Amino acid sequence: MTGVFDRAAGEVAGQKKILPGKPRIAVGLATCGIAVGGEKVYERLQEIIKKTDADISLTKTGCIGYCREEPLVNITIPGKPLVILHKVTEEDAEGIVEAVKKGTVPYKKALCRVPSWDHVTGTVITYGNGFDEIPLYADVPFFKHQKKVILRNAGFINPEDIDEYLAVGGYATAEQALTRMDSETIISEVEKSGLRGRGGAGFPTGMKWRITRDAPGAAKYIICNADEGDPGAYMNRNEMESDPHMLIEGMIIGAYAMGAKKGLIYIRAEYPLAIRRLVHAIGEARALGLLGKNIIGAGFDFDIRIATGAGAFVCGESTALVASIEGRTGRPHPRPPRLTDPGGGLWGIPSDLNNVETWCNIPVIIRNGSGWYAKIGAEKNAGTKVFSLVGKVDRVGLVEVPLGTSLNTIVCDIGNGGAQGKKVKAVQTGGPSGGCIPVRLFDTPVNYESLNAVGSIMGSGGIVVMDEDTDMVDIARYFINFATGESCGKCVPCREGLRHTLILLNRLIARKGTAKDLETLALLADTIKNTSLCGLGQSAPNPVLTTLAYFREEYDALVKP
Amino acid sequence: MTQGKTGTELAEPPKKPVTVSINGNAYRADEGECLLTVAERVKIPIPHFCFEQSLEPYGACRLCMVGVVHHGKTVMETACTLRAKEGLTILTDTPDIVKYRTILFELYLAEAPKSAVVKEMAARYGVTKTRFLRRVDTGDPLGGACVLCGLCVRVCNEIMGAGAINFINRGPYTVVNTPFTEPSRDCFGCGACAAICPTHAVRIEDRDGVRILHSWSETKVPLSQCVSCGKYFAPAALEKSVLSRIEPPLRDDLAGLCPACRAKKLAKKEILAATGGDPGDA
Repeated sequence: MTGVFDRAAGEVAGQKKILPGKPRIAVGLATCGIAVGGEKVYERLQEIIKKTDADISLTKTGCIGYCREEPLVNITIPGKPLVILHKVTEEDAEGIVEAVKKGTVPYKKALCRVPSWDHVTGTVITYGNGFDEIPLYADVPFFKHQKKVILRNAGFINPEDIDEYLAVGGYATAEQALTRMDSETIISEVEKSGLRGRGGAGFPTGMKWRITRDAPGAAKYIICNADEGDPGAYMNRNEMESDPHMLIEGMIIGAYAMGAKKGLIYIRAEYPLAIRRLVHAIGEARALGLLGKNIIGAGFDFDIRIATGAGAFVCGESTALVASIEGRTGRPHPRPPRLTDPGGGLWGIPSDLNNVETWCNIPVIIRNGSGWYAKIGAEKNAGTKVFSLVGKVDRVGLVEVPLGTSLNTIVCDIGNGGAQGKKVKAVQTGGPSGGCIPVRLFDTPVNYESLNAVGSIMGSGGIVVMDEDTDMVDIARYFINFATGESCGKCVPCREGLRHTLILLNRLIARKGTAKDLETLALLADTIKNTSLCGLGQSAPNPVLTTLAYFREEYDALVKP
Repeated sequence: MTQGKTGTELAEPPKKPVTVSINGNAYRADEGECLLTVAERVKIPIPHFCFEQSLEPYGACRLCMVGVVHHGKTVMETACTLRAKEGLTILTDTPDIVKYRTILFELYLAEAPKSAVVKEMAARYGVTKTRFLRRVDTGDPLGGACVLCGLCVRVCNEIMGAGAINFINRGPYTVVNTPFTEPSRDCFGCGACAAICPTHAVRIEDRDGVRILHSWSETKVPLSQCVSCGKYFAPAALEKSVLSRIEPPLRDDLAGLCPACRAKKLAKKEILAATGGDPGDA
């Protein structure tokens, strides 16, 4: 199959895998599913199918994001809707195979049914009708308020099989871009779509692409930032584990638009499965002529390599990330020069750095047009965003909503409020760089500006829920402890300031602090925020500053009278 | 504003003269010149630890933060990374800068409690006490005076090309030393680290023909002895490295001599030649 790209052949092969004309069982096997026993379920199913010689196709998928209900298993019976089973154990395997053999599903295990699924890139897979007693996907409260654009394929296709990606419209956009569009059209589409960087800072993606393309010199690099390091955040992990090809496709389109022949994915070593699936996917793409020389027969050369990090949070910062790829210590340097500047990028070559999720948006924008994309979300905040809703929330999982959705919708409607019926007190957005937002501000729409206005940030998309039992000073201490350990140690406010913030917090929590210490804490946090060299230090005090602003009484209660 | 007036024609062609405003006064500078250099030249004090003209701006000590006035708004930036351009307006002592600088000095006083330089500098800006817990480490090879400005590391790696020392660990555990805190085999013993250290924290001692770098894991570097006067004059490795790079090479009859003896020998030769003696006797 090497050489000229033949999308149609793969598409047909993939359709036969997704709708094989016989029952198909697909086990959700992203890291989350594996952690709760998904692999055991898979092995047991395999064993039973083999033993009973059942005519069932068994495969794996990524994750649809409903973490609380895992392991999840999809059943497709010809002509019937796809049924998602939840909390499946090894013991359920026998019953599942029995039911499927009879052309039905174990109703007790059914979470919802999906009669058809829109894969957004132009393909709708129609499964069928029936099983009316099982709730519809769109009626499940966890899914009801969501809009899947980025996670369009997650949990439906086998991430280790490029044919399935092709069957749901995959690489059709790359083909369209490389054969029928020019650089200017693509960049202007991305600009008009209003897409902003999903790594957290929200810089307009199209503008960054234009700057990179127009930077002096013929050589350009594009880099994908997959160094997701916020505690409680795992959006990018699932995006790569469940649908690695959408990232590759986004990068191919970007490379073509910016004239880059080389792409790099900088991924943290703590994501072994994501790395494995990406390596596999890159291999598949090369074999089909989607990467390498003269890709898609369009006379354009582009290839992707993977660089793994060594577990440093600060390496998500652009200049530290580049230093790390070059084999130097991951320490940021003052900007400018920015990555897009000559001399500032990787090996001094102008480079474009985008987050995983930013890249994943590209195929849908080019496929459906900037006008379509710009209508999703809110003003100046186009599109959807994936959030990992974790902590003391009832329905833990990955949530994709249009930007501008209120915290209330995310935490209360989708998340169903506190776990075990407890009252929610606050959420932390943006990880250790973000802030704590109290429940009284839950009508805040989740967009870049509104979150900044309440002292937090969008960040990469972690939302950690705290309930009435959560000690907010302790939360601040947790994040400061994290940031202190992850500070690179270059500039004094971050290196020394965070250490003393931690000392002060510990003193307060030990009830040895004074009102004076509290005053010093506030001043120190303010200093770190305003004088640090890079984004890590500038945002690290946010948990302290926001808890001081919104939960001052908890601090006051710790101070000796 | 004053572009094109007298003096322009005297300037080097690639360097465009510009006027920058510091604390309300106008000063001449070359376009693109480092603002900290401009301030130093016109004697406006801006404190700093990590800046050195021969190295790239590092932006780590944060002490040289100034307020950049732009469209009526003041934004803080480090003067070492700021480049002079026409109309650049900065303020060195805004209330914000004074407030933050005070805290930064207090952090330095706690980090390097043994440094007299830090104490003096902080006192110049009215900071004599720190609210923060002082670091106490009796075994610190830098004697509790290191502020991690990175100048020693950068001069060793970027200028000397020795790469004998570097940062170890990260965050608050960062220290500077040799790899695995073992005596370095890469160290020339040039002493540039000690010379450049703003807080004089690097301890080096010459004893019995050996240079001992106490701060760098007791690295020992043999010194060359002058074949004439017997004085130890330079680390042998450094001498070898320097001599290997000069063109034309050092004359054979000057080999092994210390600079003083070399000068003496050359002078004697000149005198003998001038007075009709045999220069070969020198």
